[in-house]
Amino acid sequence: MTGIRAGSNRGGRGDRTQDGRVWTLWSTRPRLPHCVAVSLVLRRLATAVPVILGVSLLTFWILNLMPGNTALSLLGADATAAQVAQLEAELGLDRPAIERYLEWLGGLFKGDLGRSLASGQPVSSMIAERSAVTLELVMLAVVLSTTLAVGMALLAARRPGKTADRVGAVMGMIGISTPSYVLAIVLVLAFAVNARLFPSIGFVPIEESALGNLRSLTLPTIALAMPYFGVCSRFVRGDLVEQMESYGYITTARAKGLGSWNVLLRHALPNSLVGLVTVIGLNLGPLIGGTVIVEQIFALPGLGSLLLQAVNVRDAAVVQGIVLVMAVVTLLATLCVDLLYMLLDPRIRYGRR
Amino acid sequence: MAGADALQAGAEAPSPCRFVLAQVTGPLDVAIPAAILLLILVACFGLPAAVGLPSPVGGSVLEANLPPFSARHLLGTDLNGNDVLSRIVHGGQASIAIAVSVNVIGLLLGGTIGAVSGYLGRFVDALIMRVLDVFIAFPSLVLVLAVAQGLGGGVLNTIWSLSLFSVPAFARVARSATLRVRGQAFVTSAELSGGGPSRNVLRHVAPNIAPQLITFALLGVGVVMVIEGGLSFLGFGIEAPRPSWGNMIAQGQQGLFTRPSLVLLPSSMLFLTVLSCNLLGEALRRRWSAR
Repeated sequence: MTGIRAGSNRGGRGDRTQDGRVWTLWSTRPRLPHCVAVSLVLRRLATAVPVILGVSLLTFWILNLMPGNTALSLLGADATAAQVAQLEAELGLDRPAIERYLEWLGGLFKGDLGRSLASGQPVSSMIAERSAVTLELVMLAVVLSTTLAVGMALLAARRPGKTADRVGAVMGMIGISTPSYVLAIVLVLAFAVNARLFPSIGFVPIEESALGNLRSLTLPTIALAMPYFGVCSRFVRGDLVEQMESYGYITTARAKGLGSWNVLLRHALPNSLVGLVTVIGLNLGPLIGGTVIVEQIFALPGLGSLLLQAVNVRDAAVVQGIVLVMAVVTLLATLCVDLLYMLLDPRIRYGRR
Repeated sequence: MAGADALQAGAEAPSPCRFVLAQVTGPLDVAIPAAILLLILVACFGLPAAVGLPSPVGGSVLEANLPPFSARHLLGTDLNGNDVLSRIVHGGQASIAIAVSVNVIGLLLGGTIGAVSGYLGRFVDALIMRVLDVFIAFPSLVLVLAVAQGLGGGVLNTIWSLSLFSVPAFARVARSATLRVRGQAFVTSAELSGGGPSRNVLRHVAPNIAPQLITFALLGVGVVMVIEGGLSFLGFGIEAPRPSWGNMIAQGQQGLFTRPSLVLLPSSMLFLTVLSCNLLGEALRRRWSAR
């Protein structure tokens, strides 16, 4: 307790923390000491630059390994050699790979991702057009899975080994063992074909109708969220049960006469949230990758389906751009997770480790 | 003293057969998933040889879309007239072969990289971890997709492209396990008695990180199966006429409303296999970490 009080003298509103009170999520307004946060951000950005360069070099190299000829696949199988050579010259594909990579990299610094080989449109505007759907889908899936996971874990940890715990364990196991494409098809079969509650394919933009938008994203969100839910709920449940069984502050809280919900919500859960944030961050990569499959099944016009189209016509510029954007988003999300981690963990928040 | 006990037990445990037997005859949390996995393995690799199933490809259109329990086709035929049971069995072979090889490659290559990186520390460690960060940084499915398209379909190429992300994952696990072992007295004493790094990693570090890597591999088999299925589902991975659970699901999706069983059969096989792998890995992890 003393650590919090000593630290809170520097922490603005935090110094209203009452003496002897265990830190909880709702009792104090977390404040970042700016120097710690800023140095974290700077350090992360410094390591992110080589990682992103590596990612882009790797994809460029892989895309150049692709057998078959981009120009040929754009023109169709019966193009003459002269036509192919002409198109290659137009697209700049006849130049050495390293030259093209450096040029692409140079454009990147000016915010230019190049032009699509297939359609000639600027890649950045193609990505901007498609990313809203994917972003909405990912956010909905994260919110749905973590809310469900925390709720389920609370029910389970209140009475470990009882019905709710078992149901939660089975649901979690089913969640991590069900591929999203299998779940998606089962959902379509159940809710779009037999019950006709949700559309099976297509997307309604939010400007058109908010309800329609949610309805069109319901099944994709569930399909994407289930595996994620499994991972999160198993983690939170394990963490909560461990705290409830073996930590002194829980015993103290119980001895004060608090009910089990109070103990769980105010004393155990805030501590588990710190770990949960890390788990969420670690699993964002697979989640974003999973949108490729889910968007394909539900015919959503997002980044994933754009990527698939581009890979199929060997449109290297678009693939390169999407991979880069996804890598940057994943890295930024991990950074946000670390900042959130600081907000949630008072020891880090007050600059004490 | 727990360490001494473990050492004693390790010295006394003689044959691998008896070790496996001891794992299986314990509580049912290991035995049941292991039995299901064994059943699936026997069905996929033994059935074609034992009963002579029809070929999984090149069926005749005259026999297309037969219902289950038809003569000669126990589970019926799909829209191309191929025997569904035979396709499921052969698809299973491909899925299992890929998932196991990817994890063996990851275990050996990634395990070595991680153990060496964690053991040597300093510059080597920093360099290796930076390279691995590149692979771990972004959505693996996206990378695998690009690589799979680059290399083309087929079992071998799918194995290579999936290994590209199983290796870094194993290296991560092996490295953190090595770091934990690294500080312990027996490693220091091995160093002091003059063993070189390669000998120490092989004889002292490897046996200690093995249980963790093996349970990770079991969970990994499930993960790889899901991703392989996803690749084949999207039309990369195993290419169309050859069966895999993933591309069977994709194919069956077109006739989802008229014959859902074409989707549900391979889906449930995939689900059952992945579930058993997860349950087995989970049970072994519980058992080995309790010791």
